[in-house]
Amino acid sequence: MIPIPAKSDTPDIPGRPTHDIGVARRDCPPARSGGRKALRRLGAATLTAGALVAAGCGSSGSPSPGSSSAAAGHTGGTYTILANSAFGVADLAQNYTLEEWQLAIDTHDGLVQFKRVGGTAGTQIVPDLAASIPTPTAGGKTYVFHIRKGIKFSNGQVMKPSDFVTTFERQFTVPGPTTFYSGIVGASKCGNAAKTGKCDLSQGVVADDTNYTLTIHLTAADPEFLDKLALPFAYVVPASTSMKLTGNNVPPGTGPYLWQSYNPNKEAVLVRNKYFHVWNAEAQPAGYPDKIVEKYGQTVSDEVTAVQNGQADEVFDGDVIPADRLNELNGAQYAKQVHVNPLTADWYFAFNTKQPPFNNLKARQAANFAADRNAYVKIGGGPSLAVPTCQVLPPNFPGYKPYCPYTAGSDTTKWTGPDLAKAKALVKASGTAGMKVVVNTDIPDKALGEQMVSDLNKIGYKASLQALAGSIQYPFVQNSNNSKKWNIAWSAWYQDYPAPSDFLNVLLGCGSIHPGSDASPNIAAFCDKSIQAQMDKAEQLSVTDPTAANAIWAQVDHAMTDQAPWVDLYNPKQIDFLSSRVHGYQWNPQWYILIDQQWLSK
Amino acid sequence: MMKKIFISRDLVSYSNQGQRVIPEVTAAAPATLSLVFGAAVIWVVMAILMGVGAAVLRGTVLDPLLMIIALIGISMPVFWVGEVVNLVPQSRLHHSFLFSWVPPLGYTPFTQNPVLWFKGLVFPWITLSIMYIGFYARVLRANLLEIQNEDYIRTARAKGLTERRVLFRHTLRTSMITFVSLFGLDFGVLVGGGALLTEVVFAIHGVGFLTYQSLTGLDLPVIMTTVIYGAFFIVLANTLVDIAYAGLDPRVRPA
Amino acid sequence: MAIALTESAEPPGQAPDLEPEISGRSPWALAGRRLWRNRIAMAALVLFLLIIAVSFAAPLYAHDIAKVNAFANNLSGTTIIHGHRVPLLQQGGGLLKLGETPIGPTWDISNYFLGADQQGRDVMARVLYGGRSSLEIGIGSAVFCCVIATVIALIAGYFGGIIDAALSRLMDIIWAFPVYLLAISISTVLLTTSNGLSIGPLHLVATSLWLPTLIIAFIYLPYVYRPIRGHVLSVSEKEFVQAGIAQGASDVRLIFSDILPNIVSVVIVLLPLMIATTILTESALSFLSIGVQPPNASWGTIISDGQDLLYTRPWVAIAPGIMIVLTVLALNVLGDGVRDALDPRAKLRADAVDRARALRHHGARVCDLLQDARHRPGQADRGSQPEPADPGRDTPPVRSRPPVPRPVRPDDEEDLHQP
Repeated sequence: MIPIPAKSDTPDIPGRPTHDIGVARRDCPPARSGGRKALRRLGAATLTAGALVAAGCGSSGSPSPGSSSAAAGHTGGTYTILANSAFGVADLAQNYTLEEWQLAIDTHDGLVQFKRVGGTAGTQIVPDLAASIPTPTAGGKTYVFHIRKGIKFSNGQVMKPSDFVTTFERQFTVPGPTTFYSGIVGASKCGNAAKTGKCDLSQGVVADDTNYTLTIHLTAADPEFLDKLALPFAYVVPASTSMKLTGNNVPPGTGPYLWQSYNPNKEAVLVRNKYFHVWNAEAQPAGYPDKIVEKYGQTVSDEVTAVQNGQADEVFDGDVIPADRLNELNGAQYAKQVHVNPLTADWYFAFNTKQPPFNNLKARQAANFAADRNAYVKIGGGPSLAVPTCQVLPPNFPGYKPYCPYTAGSDTTKWTGPDLAKAKALVKASGTAGMKVVVNTDIPDKALGEQMVSDLNKIGYKASLQALAGSIQYPFVQNSNNSKKWNIAWSAWYQDYPAPSDFLNVLLGCGSIHPGSDASPNIAAFCDKSIQAQMDKAEQLSVTDPTAANAIWAQVDHAMTDQAPWVDLYNPKQIDFLSSRVHGYQWNPQWYILIDQQWLSK
Repeated sequence: MMKKIFISRDLVSYSNQGQRVIPEVTAAAPATLSLVFGAAVIWVVMAILMGVGAAVLRGTVLDPLLMIIALIGISMPVFWVGEVVNLVPQSRLHHSFLFSWVPPLGYTPFTQNPVLWFKGLVFPWITLSIMYIGFYARVLRANLLEIQNEDYIRTARAKGLTERRVLFRHTLRTSMITFVSLFGLDFGVLVGGGALLTEVVFAIHGVGFLTYQSLTGLDLPVIMTTVIYGAFFIVLANTLVDIAYAGLDPRVRPA
Repeated sequence: MAIALTESAEPPGQAPDLEPEISGRSPWALAGRRLWRNRIAMAALVLFLLIIAVSFAAPLYAHDIAKVNAFANNLSGTTIIHGHRVPLLQQGGGLLKLGETPIGPTWDISNYFLGADQQGRDVMARVLYGGRSSLEIGIGSAVFCCVIATVIALIAGYFGGIIDAALSRLMDIIWAFPVYLLAISISTVLLTTSNGLSIGPLHLVATSLWLPTLIIAFIYLPYVYRPIRGHVLSVSEKEFVQAGIAQGASDVRLIFSDILPNIVSVVIVLLPLMIATTILTESALSFLSIGVQPPNASWGTIISDGQDLLYTRPWVAIAPGIMIVLTVLALNVLGDGVRDALDPRAKLRADAVDRARALRHHGARVCDLLQDARHRPGQADRGSQPEPADPGRDTPPVRSRPPVPRPVRPDDEEDLHQP
C-alpha cells in the first residue's frame, strides 16, 4: 500500500538513505547533467529509519595536487560551503550522509581514523583516540585499546574510556544503522533498544577508567572492524549524552572544531574548539580556517555563481552541477578551481530476479548486452564524469580486475559498445519476448529510466517507466511487498569503506534480503548459494591472508557479473568547485575533500 | 498528530527527524509574507492604473491595447515567467549595468540585509504580480463601465461635476467593492502558501516551497501543518472580506 | 410547454393566408452572428484552431518532415548540419571537457528546427506532441468538468432541499483546498504509491493521459458548479417551469426540456475559459513532474526539461512557454467574445456601433447621435466582464419549442426575448 514510512524500523544493514524532503537523490552523486536537484543524503531519519545511506564515498585513486604540509602562517578566515539542502538529523549515531561526515571528522574523534591525507595513503587506518592500533586476540575477537589521556571535550569535560560505552550503546538506542556494530557481544539483545531506550553492552564494551583501557569483545572475528570504528557512528560523545536522538543538537566532541549551531533550513556553523590540541597529526591535524559555515537552500546553479564571484568558497561536492553550468567550468580561468576525482561507486539498474521476465538468466544477460552504456554516460555528464562498467566492483578497489562480458567485440576487459544481435538472440532463447517490463527510477533520474526503456524496447520488450519521488523510491524498491510492481529499478551505491564485501555481500548477498522491510539493500533479491559460499570463504580468509582473499573476491565479482543481477551502468566521478582563494586542496578516498586542511588566501 | 500540532507543539517532521515542524513553518512565513505583500502592492497599484486608464481611454486604441496586455498577463504560466525572468538577469545580461545588481536566487531576511532582501525580491514580485495585474485590471475596468450607467452617477453628472471627479470620487469607490473582496480572497490564499510555483522557481523558502517539498516527499507532518496553516489564512481572509464588504457597501449593512 | 400568445389568424383546417412567413432567428443564431462580427474573437478562434491543427499533425511532422522519433532517447545519435555530420550531444571543451551539450536550434524546419534536448530528442517534434497532450488533457478535462458540474448543478438546483445542501457542501469541501495543493496531493498519491488508478474494472496506468484529465476535472468542479447552480435556481423559479409542473410534467422532462436549454449558454461561456485554466493547471503539474509522465511529452514537461539547459539552450524552455501563452490567450479572447455574444446588452452595443457607422456615411454628426444613444437607459458600452457568468446576469430564457410562428418585424428582435 502507501509506503508511509514506519518510523521505528531499526535497520540491521547499512542501506542507502532515502532522500531529503523531496529533492534528494543519492549520496555523493557525481556532478551530472540532467539533475537539477542536488542529491541529498539523509541520515537514517528520512522516511523510514531503516533506509540508510552509505555515505562513505571514496576512491583510492588519483592523488590530487596540493600539499598537506602545515603552513602555520595560513590559519584564519571563514570557509563557506554552499549546499542545496541540509543533511537531516545531526546526531552522529544516526546520520549516514557524506555531507555531515565531512564536518563530523573535524569535530569528533574515534578510536581509529583514516589517515587525513589525500591519495591512496588516505585509506590507511591510524590510531586516533587510541594510543596505538592493537592486534586482536582470542582468535580475532578481542581488541584492547589504550586510550590517550588528557583529551577534553569541547565543553571542558575530560574524555574517559567509559564515554565509549555510551557511544556504542547509543548506536542501538538511537534509530540508525546498527549492523556495523552488531558483532559486539550483547548487541544481539539490543534489537528493540530504539523503543526501550536501553542497551546493555557492558559485556561487549568494557571500559577501565583507572587504567584508561577499552576492551571490545566481538562474537566473531571481523577483518573490517577497524574500518567500522573509523566511521563517525563510533566517534566518542560524553557519557552524559542522552540515549535518545539528540535531534539537531550535536553532542560535544574532541576535534579541533565544535558545532556552534545547526539549522537545516539555514546553515551550520563550526568554530574552533579551544580545548583541542594535536595528539596525532596523521589522524586529527589542526585546521586552518577559524570558522566553517555551511549554508543551505540555494539552487545549485546559484551556488556555482556565488563561488565564481567569490561570495563562497565551495560548492558542496555532493551537489550535482547542472549541465549548462558545467560548460563554464571548462574554461581556462577555472582550471585551478575545479577538481575531478573518480569515485568508488556504482550507478546501476537492479533486476527483480523474483518476477518474470528477469527471473530468467538469459533475459538479464540480454538486457546487459543491449544497454547502451555510452548513452548512460552522456546522461551522467559525459566521459569525463562517468566511466562505463559492467561489473560490480569499482576500479581501484581491492579485488578489482577489469571484466566486461557484455560488450560488442571479443575483448572482455572493457566495454566498447552494445551488441543488439546477441541481445535479441538471447531474448528469443529465453522465451520472454514481448513481455511487459516496468522500469522504476526516481524523478531526478528519469532520463536514465527513459534510456533503459528505449534499450529494452529495442530488443523486443514492452517497457514503461515509473518515476517515483526521490525520497520514496529507495525504500519502495527495497521492500519485497512491492515486488510485483516493478521489474528493473535504478539505484546507486557508494562505498562505506574500502572493502569488497561492502559491495558484493551487502548488495548481493543472501543475508541482505529482508522480506517486508524497507531496508533490504539487496534490491535484486539475488541469492546464489555457491557464490555466497565463496564470499564467506573470502571473508574468513581476509583475517589472515588479505591478498589471497582479494583474489577470491575478484573471482566472486566476475561470477556475480556473469549471473547478471544488475545492469551496471557506470562509475561516476566527483567535481569539487572551489573559489580562487582556497589553497591546499586534497582528495581523500574516504572523506573526499578535506575541508579544514585547506587555507584561505586574503 | 493534531494534539502535537496544537497542544504540545512538538510535532516532528518525518524527513528531518530533528526538525520540529511548527518552528519550521513559522520560520518560513516571513519569506512568503515578504513576497506576497510586495507583489500585492505592485499589483494593486498597477491594476488600478491600468483599469482606470482603460476605462477613461475607452474608445481610443489604448483601451483594447491595455486589455490585451492584461490578457497576456493572465495567459502566462507563472513558473515559465519565473524561468524566463531568471534567464535574462542571471545569465545573459548578468554583467551588463542593467542587471549586475541582481543577487543570486534565494531569500535574504530583512533583518539580515535589507538591501539584499529588496534586490532579491524584485523579480519574484514582478513575476507573481503579472497574472494578478491582468485579472484585476479587467475586473476593475468592467466594473467601472458597468457603474457608469447607474442612476447615481447620472445624478452626479447632472449636478455638473467634472468627469474626473465623477470617476474618482464616485465610480471608483463603488467599483472598489468587488476589487477589494476579490483581493482579500486572493491575498489570503497567497499568504497561506498559494504562491508555491513562484517560490519554487525563485528558490524562496517560504510556506509554499515547504508545502511543495513535503507533498512530493510524502512528509505527512509537514503536509498537515502547512495545509492547516493555509486553511487558517483562507478562512481568515474570507471573514475579513465579508466584514470589509459590509463596511464598503452601505447597501449590504443591515438597515 | 409553450402557450400561444397570439392566435393564428385562421381557424384550423383552412389553408393559411398567404402572408409571407418571416421566420424569426433563434437566439443562438443571433449570438452566432454577433460572434462572427467580432473580429478579434474570430481571429482568436482561428489561432486556436491553428494550434490544434498543428499539434495534432505532430505525427505527420515527426515521421515525414523531421523524420525523428520524438519519444526515444537518442543520445548517441548524429545529424547533418551544413553538410557536416555532428553528434547531437557534444562533449564540453576546454581542459576538463565536462558535461554534454545538445545542439542548438538549426532553424531548418526538417532537421532539428529548435535543436535537441538533453536526451537527443527533437525539441520541435516534442513541442508539437506536447501540444497534443496538453490540448487533449485541457479540452478533455474542461469538457468533463463542465458536463459533470452541469449534471450535479441541475440536480442540486432543481430538487433543492437536502440534496442541494448535501451536494453544495460536498463541493465546498473540495473547494476548501487550494486548487494546486489538491491537484499535487492527488497526483502524488495516484502516481507514486498506487501507480495509477484502479476502481473496479477501471484501471488507469500512471502513464495514461486520463489520470491528469480526471484529476484536473475534479478539482475545478466546484468552480463551474457554483455559477451554474445559481442559474438553475433562478430559472427554476420562472413561471414557465411552474407551469410545466402544474401541467404534470415529470422531473426529468422539466430538467432536460426547460431548465437545461436555458442554462446551456452559461456553460458555453464558461467552456473556453475553463479550457484555458485547465491547460495552465496541466502545465504546472507536468512542470512539477506529477502531471504527464515520461516518455509522453507535454508543454509543462518540456519546460521542466529546459530548466537545466536554460543558460546554454534557452529555446528548449522558451518555445513551449510561448505556445502555452498563445493558446491560453486565444482562449481567453475567444471566451470574452462568446460571453459578449450571448449577452443581450452587448447586442445593443453592437447596434449602436452599427448605427454610428451608418450615420457617418450620411455625414451626420456622430457625437450628437451617440449622445442620444448614450442617454437611453441601459445602453452603454459595458465592456467585457472578465468573470464568467454570475447569477446576477440575465440571460434570455429560451423556450423549448418556439411558439406558433407569428409575423415578426426584423428589427423588433427585442420582443422575442420577453418571457
